[in-house]
Amino acid sequence: MHQRKYLGALLAMAALALAAPSPAHGQHAEPAAHNATTTQQPDTAHGADAQAGEKSIFGGGIGNVVWTTVIFLVVVFVLGTKAWPQILRVLDEREKSIRTSLENARREREDAEKLLVQYKQQIERARVDATAIVDEGRRDAEVVRRRIQDEAKKESDEMIARAKREIQLATDAAVKELYDRTANLAVDVAAQIVRKELRAEDHRALVLESIERMKASKN
Amino acid sequence: MLGLLLGSGADPLDHVIQHTTLDLNPGGGLWSFPVLSNHIVMQVLAALLLIIVIPIAVRQRAGKDEVGRLVPRGFGNAIEGICVALRNQIFQPNLGKYTDLFSPYLWSVFFFILVSNALGLIPLGDWFSFVPGHLVGGTSTGNIYVTGTLAVATLLMVVINGLRFHGGAYVAHFFMGPPYLAWFIAILEIAGLGFKTMALCVRLCANMLAGHMILAVLGCIAFNFLEILVAFLHAFIFTTLTAVFIGQAVNIHHDHHEEHGHEPQPAGAHH
Repeated sequence: MHQRKYLGALLAMAALALAAPSPAHGQHAEPAAHNATTTQQPDTAHGADAQAGEKSIFGGGIGNVVWTTVIFLVVVFVLGTKAWPQILRVLDEREKSIRTSLENARREREDAEKLLVQYKQQIERARVDATAIVDEGRRDAEVVRRRIQDEAKKESDEMIARAKREIQLATDAAVKELYDRTANLAVDVAAQIVRKELRAEDHRALVLESIERMKASKN
Repeated sequence: MLGLLLGSGADPLDHVIQHTTLDLNPGGGLWSFPVLSNHIVMQVLAALLLIIVIPIAVRQRAGKDEVGRLVPRGFGNAIEGICVALRNQIFQPNLGKYTDLFSPYLWSVFFFILVSNALGLIPLGDWFSFVPGHLVGGTSTGNIYVTGTLAVATLLMVVINGLRFHGGAYVAHFFMGPPYLAWFIAILEIAGLGFKTMALCVRLCANMLAGHMILAVLGCIAFNFLEILVAFLHAFIFTTLTAVFIGQAVNIHHDHHEEHGHEPQPAGAHH
């Protein structure tokens, strides 16, 4: 679109250049023409008619204007369509890309800062929670410890009581056995003492008595 | 070497004047119509170089991906570097919102003049001395008709775009100052346009002529370097002044408000 706009201007320039010399040209046309005519003399005198007016630094004419116009227009048109739009597009894209990158970077930094704040809060919360959990754990452990301690104490007390009871029973049994054995021993001792004291007649009487008892029991 | 080659001619003028081989109206002065001369050949050569090299150069990219497409490579760097520098440093401050509209034209002007100037520094005339009629070599921008045409192109760009964007206001802005002086000032202003155009034309032509004549006379390497500088400098000056003149024409309202505040007079003073 841009090309078309100034292309119009240049086409107008071309038309003007072809139609009539511009005032700018008119102003220096005179010295050019003057020089051409003055230097023409010696050249034509030497027979170099094609080179007429060549020695003037203002050599040339409207043909140069036409050529320059055409060549310049071609350059402006070709570069204006093939090269410069590419550069303008790249410049524009680069500008946008840099702007986008900077904006993205800013946004990401802000996001990162927000996230950092969030994480810090989370970590703080987690620390508080952890402390609470540890405290609670400690309390629970204390309770459990007490309970276990109590239970152990109770159990041990019971065991002691049972042991005492068993000891008591064993003691009683032993005492009883001691009595029994002592009685038997006493009887045995008494029997031995009695056997030595009895005489034959007493034996006979006792045997007879026993036989009588057996007879009586048979009956 | 270059200087020696350039200095080898008998007459220093031979290096700078136009050698016409075919003229439709020989000896016609202004109305002579050269159709084949060394300057025309050099212009065609410059145009071909530009048309072939620049589109290829600007397509040289570092890669095909999203970032690589935006990065120039090789010679494309040079072209883009010059274009960007001109656009940012010269066109933008002068043309403002019209920068991208006129940048392509101004870049074309710059490179056309630059290549024409630079081709004149290469002693092609001596390398191709076997070509009959001095058809190769010379500086086309040392020809007053060539620079005159380019200057007229600038003048037309100025006037046509001034009228296109501001119409009557563009004409009215010549008539400034008190009413009894307005016509006088307008005449001066309009004449000034012509003088500015003529100055553009003469400045470029005279510098190229003088520089290349000095090279031809002195044949000194140091002057070659100076001339390389001058080749760039005058392409730059011509482009800069074109941008300035177009900017003055298309930004009249902007300038007007800046310079005169809310003055109801439609005239704007820029000169």
